[in-house]
Amino acid sequence: MTKSLEVLLLDDEPIVGRRLKPALDKIGCRVEVFENPKEAVARIDQKEFDIVVTDIRMEEMDGIQVLEHVQKKWPRTKVIIITGYAKMDLAREAMGKGVFDFIAKPFRPDDLRRIIANAAEALGAPIDFSSINDEPVE
Amino acid sequence: MTILEKLKKISHKEPGIRHFCIQTIRFKKFLENARGLLDLFDDGSEKVLGEYIFDRHYVVSLIDSVVERLGMMVYDACVLVPKSGEGLYAAYDEHKFTAGNLINANGSGKSGSIALDTSGSLEPEYQLLSDVLQWFNGKDTPDEPTVMGFMKQIFLSVIQFDAIGGLEAMDVVKTRTRALLGNSGVAASDMGIYLVDLWKDAQALPKEKRSINDFNSIPLKHLLMDISGIDAKDRLNRMNKGINWVAAVSEYQLSLNSLKPDFQFRLETLASGYEQSDFIFIFADKSAILDKILPAGFHIESTDYGQFAWNLDMSAKNIEDSLMIIGRSLLS
Repeated sequence: MTKSLEVLLLDDEPIVGRRLKPALDKIGCRVEVFENPKEAVARIDQKEFDIVVTDIRMEEMDGIQVLEHVQKKWPRTKVIIITGYAKMDLAREAMGKGVFDFIAKPFRPDDLRRIIANAAEALGAPIDFSSINDEPVE
Repeated sequence: MTILEKLKKISHKEPGIRHFCIQTIRFKKFLENARGLLDLFDDGSEKVLGEYIFDRHYVVSLIDSVVERLGMMVYDACVLVPKSGEGLYAAYDEHKFTAGNLINANGSGKSGSIALDTSGSLEPEYQLLSDVLQWFNGKDTPDEPTVMGFMKQIFLSVIQFDAIGGLEAMDVVKTRTRALLGNSGVAASDMGIYLVDLWKDAQALPKEKRSINDFNSIPLKHLLMDISGIDAKDRLNRMNKGINWVAAVSEYQLSLNSLKPDFQFRLETLASGYEQSDFIFIFADKSAILDKILPAGFHIESTDYGQFAWNLDMSAKNIEDSLMIIGRSLLS
């Protein structure tokens, strides 16, 4: 049996975690959801996640800071940034810092699952989610 | 001579046809903004179905975009028909107020469930989006006017077919347009159509009489494709019956207006070959049987004062076929 992908999902909008967690559970990820960036960072200090998915704009700490923290602590971890603000300067900054990929809100769960699958492949732990449909997540 | 006096002198020399061209181009801008609003409605309607993940920022930015576009439509309308300004801005302020309330209220709970959370309640973001869509295009009532209802009101103001002016107002506009074209020296072309080149004629009108073939306009060619083969005798007959249409054109644009006193019809189209921006828009009075004039695929909205019809995102072939059918129906 293959090991589950450990995913930390951080977004200060509760709906994102509520709706994404079941979508990622379906492809065999073990997902921990956070709305508070400081709590998420504290958890990252305790545990090495395979993938961190984080919103870019949050009140107390932005996604770039989370990215920097992850890279310092766990260089192997892939970071995916969610952005509702398609700002090229932020995108460039994050790309320069080695973010794995971006996804812009609104998006379909399957869009993120594809990026997660790519990240898993890059980690040497490919996942098969061809059987997952693009059905609405409740 | 002061600068102000010079400017006054220049403006007195400005031909009336330039004003006509500017108004026509402004109406195109007005339609672009209306189209932008319809695209926003479509975007929200797609996202509310439950397939997408979005947050409150998305809904708030959708509301902001609608308010902004609506403001641009109102501005265009006021440029086109200045007397409409006061009433439209008052109604616009009400919509801005509604928009503010929606953002602050965080969803009223009135709408049916679309995306449920684990407790079976509608997600607040979906509830908010659902309420926003009701404001866009729900049931239009005096207490809860919709954006779509307001758009229709703006359209009617712009084409001067409002409850106060009605048919008489439109006839006044037509008489004024006919006089303007005549006084400006726009020669009536063959086929019974006044033709205006939107860009060139605004600068200077040619002295010599022009034929339809002198105009390089793709949509005009499509419109006349099925009837351009009529013989010289028939063309003369049409001329003798009077000039009943004015067509303002550019290479990719056509604005066709009826000048007949008993028939209101306005067609606007962009046929650039770029599907995402090409469209046909029509306003016709209630008596026009649009089903017989238009091919399938048009969205038709009826109001107490007339009918609106439009088809967006049209392929080059679809535009060509549609204009050919419309031209045959209207001009044969």
